[in-house]
Amino acid sequence: MRGITDYIERDMIKWLRSPVSVISMLVMPAAWLIFVGLALPVSFTGNYLDFITPSILVMTMLSSSLNGGTLLMFDKILGFLNKFLALPTPRESILFGKILFITIRGAIQATIILVIAVLIGATILSPAQYGMIYLILLLFGFLMSACATTISLYLGDHDSYAAFNTMISMPLFFTSSALMPYNVMPAWLRTIAHLNPLSYAIDAVRAAGTGTVPLLQIGLLVVMGGVVIAICMQMFRRVTV
Amino acid sequence: MNAIETTGLTKYYNKLCAVDHLSLSVNNEIFALLGPNGSGKTTTVLMLTTLLRPNEGSAAVCGYDVEHEGEEVRKRLSYVPQDMAVDIKLTGRENVFLFAKLYGISNPKDTTDEVISIMELSDRADDLIRTYSGGMRRRLELAQALVHEPDVLFLDEPTIGLDVGARKKIWGHIRMLRKNGMTIFVTTHYMDEADQFCDRVGIISQGRIVALDTPSALKADLEKDVITAKVSGNPGSVKIDGVRILGKQDGEITFTADNGREALPLITRALDLQGVTVTSLSMREPTLDDVFLNVVGNTEDAGHFDYQQFRTMLRRRK
Repeated sequence: MRGITDYIERDMIKWLRSPVSVISMLVMPAAWLIFVGLALPVSFTGNYLDFITPSILVMTMLSSSLNGGTLLMFDKILGFLNKFLALPTPRESILFGKILFITIRGAIQATIILVIAVLIGATILSPAQYGMIYLILLLFGFLMSACATTISLYLGDHDSYAAFNTMISMPLFFTSSALMPYNVMPAWLRTIAHLNPLSYAIDAVRAAGTGTVPLLQIGLLVVMGGVVIAICMQMFRRVTV
Repeated sequence: MNAIETTGLTKYYNKLCAVDHLSLSVNNEIFALLGPNGSGKTTTVLMLTTLLRPNEGSAAVCGYDVEHEGEEVRKRLSYVPQDMAVDIKLTGRENVFLFAKLYGISNPKDTTDEVISIMELSDRADDLIRTYSGGMRRRLELAQALVHEPDVLFLDEPTIGLDVGARKKIWGHIRMLRKNGMTIFVTTHYMDEADQFCDRVGIISQGRIVALDTPSALKADLEKDVITAKVSGNPGSVKIDGVRILGKQDGEITFTADNGREALPLITRALDLQGVTVTSLSMREPTLDDVFLNVVGNTEDAGHFDYQQFRTMLRRRK
């Protein structure tokens, strides 16, 4: 669709020109990787770093997506959206440009986290496995950034969205299979973890790491992503005209 | 075919009627929509630029319906909202180039350079917008709007918050565009600017057009001169045909007169007869401010304002 790459380029230049935001968004996942991945004494696996790296990669995508939710809202508040909507460029390009930018940005950050993980001792995988991992991360990125954008458009103001973001991100992470395998979880947590979309992505990345193709999880991510993007388009049309 | 044509254009925000059966034709001119805050100016512009759906009535830009042929409409217009939305982390050139690409024009690089030089920003084109003044940002927005050579340009409060020099410059550019055949639709609060630079003015109040003509015709419609006399003493009533006292305050009396030049000596004589000394007399033509306050000022207490009734009322007073 015409205009998508131009919108992505705009956001990308703006992002890369604020080094503070580039670095600050990496600090949290890097800290998890190093201080939890290397330090937590666990008995269910010999290499906890290999176990938690997929979780941190997914967490990086998640926080990039949740932070990205504000981008379209700010374009709306600051008047950019009205200028873009008055262009003959297809209006959906604005939305898809945003979702793609947030996802690409998340993937760039995840790459940096992956490099750090390998440097501190994570097992190196084959190119095919990495390809699979990136596919899963991108699908998860589409899902979460569409979700975040929908919610921010629905809430409409920055304060409410920041509150939502704080409320959702940590519980979502802790109630997934990020920190421990299902078999060591208490039963109540296991039920929640099985329903959490974060678990699908994490399980899929772990499966890719062990050499299997996680078709079920990929399928779930595709279906959920499709549904959420459809809802997001509806929301976008509602707030625009 | 007119560049802008609206018939009974109406927009409700819940129960509030923001634009009330607006019918307008604008073509090949600088048209200013004047009105107090919340009178429906921006709502009108949003409907004309396909950013808001009208509830009733219709509007066409360059012959294309804003509701059903949105994309054709958007190909022919440019819209500069009042928010001053330019990316401060991008350079001037990058900001314009983005729009050149989004419009899909054939030669985006050269066109970008061209419009930047028209707006006299060439020497600062590669600086970040962060370092631009308000006037320069506004000119850059005009440059963005011009990259695809629109037929109709919508400017929402183009000079708001700018200093006198910057405003003059913006208006100079707008006049130049008009000379090149563009239709320009502006909203503004600044009466003097509308008076000086616009071909035709529509005054909107509570969503309705209450006055619509050239600035000089609107002023002539008042058919009055405004006379102020400084006096010592306390005069009673003055009875002169065609002269009316508007108000007395601190030794100053304000009159309106059908013919000011003839009324001046009559007023002096009438006051002299009452034993009141006139220390100074001044006369001015009505400004667009007077027109505006006359048509809009009453609406708050009158509830519903009728311009025709107002004009009839003015005539009866003579």
